[in-house]
Amino acid sequence: MIKFQNVSLIYPTSQKTILDGLNFEIGEGEFVLLIGETGIGKSSVLRLINGLVPHHTGGILAGNVEVGGLSTRDVRPGELAELIGIVGQNPVNGFVTDIVEDELAFSMESLNLSNEVMRKRIEEVLDLLSLASIRDRKIATLSGGEQQRVAIAAAMVLHPKILVLDEPTSALDPVAAEEVLAILQRLVHDLGITVIIAEHRLERVIGYVDTVIEISADGNTRIGKPDEILKESEIAPPLVKLARALKLPKVSLSVRDLRKDTENIRNTGNEVAQRHEVLGRELIKLDSVSVHYGDKIALQKLDLSIRGGEIVALMGRNGAGKSSLIKSLLDVVEYKGTIKKHITKIGYIPQDANDLLYHQSVKNECDQTDKDHSLTVGTTYKLLNKLVPNIKQDIHPRDLSEGQRLALVLAIVLAPNPELLILDEPTRGLDYSAKELLIKELIARSEKGAAVLIATHDVELVAELASRIVILADGDLVADGPTMDVLLASPAFAPQVTKVMSPRKWLTVSDVLKAIE
Amino acid sequence: MAAIVAIALLVKFLKSDGPWSDSFYWALKLAFAVIIFRVFIGVIIGVPVPGHTLFTIPNIPLPDWMAGITLGGPVTWERVSSTVIESLNIASIIAIFGAATSLTNTRAVLRSMPPIFYEVGMVLVIATTLTPQLVGNLKRIRIAQKIRGISNSKFLSWRQIAMPLLEDSLARALDLAAAMDSRGYGYSRKRSKYRPQKFTFKDALLISTGFIFLAVSL
Repeated sequence: MIKFQNVSLIYPTSQKTILDGLNFEIGEGEFVLLIGETGIGKSSVLRLINGLVPHHTGGILAGNVEVGGLSTRDVRPGELAELIGIVGQNPVNGFVTDIVEDELAFSMESLNLSNEVMRKRIEEVLDLLSLASIRDRKIATLSGGEQQRVAIAAAMVLHPKILVLDEPTSALDPVAAEEVLAILQRLVHDLGITVIIAEHRLERVIGYVDTVIEISADGNTRIGKPDEILKESEIAPPLVKLARALKLPKVSLSVRDLRKDTENIRNTGNEVAQRHEVLGRELIKLDSVSVHYGDKIALQKLDLSIRGGEIVALMGRNGAGKSSLIKSLLDVVEYKGTIKKHITKIGYIPQDANDLLYHQSVKNECDQTDKDHSLTVGTTYKLLNKLVPNIKQDIHPRDLSEGQRLALVLAIVLAPNPELLILDEPTRGLDYSAKELLIKELIARSEKGAAVLIATHDVELVAELASRIVILADGDLVADGPTMDVLLASPAFAPQVTKVMSPRKWLTVSDVLKAIE
Repeated sequence: MAAIVAIALLVKFLKSDGPWSDSFYWALKLAFAVIIFRVFIGVIIGVPVPGHTLFTIPNIPLPDWMAGITLGGPVTWERVSSTVIESLNIASIIAIFGAATSLTNTRAVLRSMPPIFYEVGMVLVIATTLTPQLVGNLKRIRIAQKIRGISNSKFLSWRQIAMPLLEDSLARALDLAAAMDSRGYGYSRKRSKYRPQKFTFKDALLISTGFIFLAVSL
């Protein structure tokens, strides 16, 4: 179905080779996962499949990409529209209209299909993706999971043989992610469609896929069954890390299999003391805080207190009030009630870290921060160097890899030593190594007495990082307690290690290792 | 004046929450600004109108070639009332336009447009989708930048907002173009229309009566 032969990709203005001599073949009806560190060129590979690269982006393509017998070199992406559906990393950016039904019709209108065919196919696809109830809604008002499903539906109306998705679940809460993945699996199994996805959250997708393609930093590609590839891969979900750490003979990719292999450990392991945290003074106290947008209640009479040394994970579905809570803490939204702040400095890392950056080079960004907060010249750059060594000073922030850019943003925000650090879904698009950097730095800060509030959907991150979890639903606080208790109480939020080790109270691989010491 | 009030009531009752629904509010603001500006200009500059003098502003002499126009001078009751009425005329026209845009769904209009205008229409559709997004981005970036430099400056430089916004919008535009490209936009010479809205006899009747009224009033 898809054949990459010696594919290399270079952009003329850049020194770096994006892809180097890629070779692989994907058959019909396979569910394929593409893995590799961030910045390795996964998105480029996905876009090569329908010819967006190089037709749309430019760049020099060597080798040959063959899809359904056609070379993408010879055809434009539009001509492949009926063969390949593609859903970008940020589906909202690809929406042309604002109503669900119109959006679904858009591609068919482009191909001049008759009105009868359109009516029929739209009904089909609305049923296939369970969108019938929201067909008249405005896309902007839908939840992330629904938007993702609309994007998939908009691609499916043309009856493509191949569906390509770039990080389809990374912005979704665990439940919505499961829904989207189940739908993709149904497309593969029932309709024989070839689905290719790139995703960082391996723990979510690995149970669904048949084939994994790994692109390594040295340009080598490996393709094979998930367990074969993950056995040796640098990038691994918690299940695989657990199996490796316990030196089990085989790598299991399902919780059930791994449970069978670890029964002994569950029975004999010792209790693990929870991470001991030194709670400082109260930094911030919310008393009956409400936020309204017009008639809509975003946050309802919330009481919350955050102390120094705490790492609080803020969880809940999209639209549950997480952003409103953060905005009221930052004092950028009108709220009722009182917020007492016993601190002077708040650091904030927005969802899109690029929002913070505006200079032409890393050096200028660092200097600006020194100037803004009257720090000794060079403080920020020194911190950046500590986080990730050897970032060139004259490089443009946009040219940094995701991990490096996160480090830069962390350096900018952390340089003035904020007493409270607020992060809004920072792990989107971050690979495991970048996440580790984040976890290490945040824990170090909390040990020095700062508090961290982090809004995220990433339960694995929460398990490693947070000391306390606050869950919001429809603007109400529905759970607030130590990480262990909250994660164990809800099956949807339980991290993989906990699922395997239940009923024992171990959250992470290192917990398990401590337990069997 | 009565016309504006009537329109405001109409808008209030029929309002939907489409992307354009705020446009009446903006149109009213614009109309109000026009009234103020027109009256101000009308009082300061203009042709002297004889009548009851309200008050006198110092007359500034103008060169000879601008004869007939005075700057300052006596302000008469008649002069004020005529400018107010004139400006109200302009304001009601603006308000009516605002009401029309806020009450019609641009997309529905586009659907019933002849195919010749479709390309233009497509551009409008994309613009209407992107404008609210742009406003959203602007707000987001402002917040991020404000918190970043909170200790020192109260005001943000234009660069702080413009650079991320520009980069973000550009990336978004590229994403959109890529999405449209891969969904076959512009690949077929002809475009079909989903649920086209046909002109009915009722529509034709309504439009022709409108024209007749226009002709009569002229």
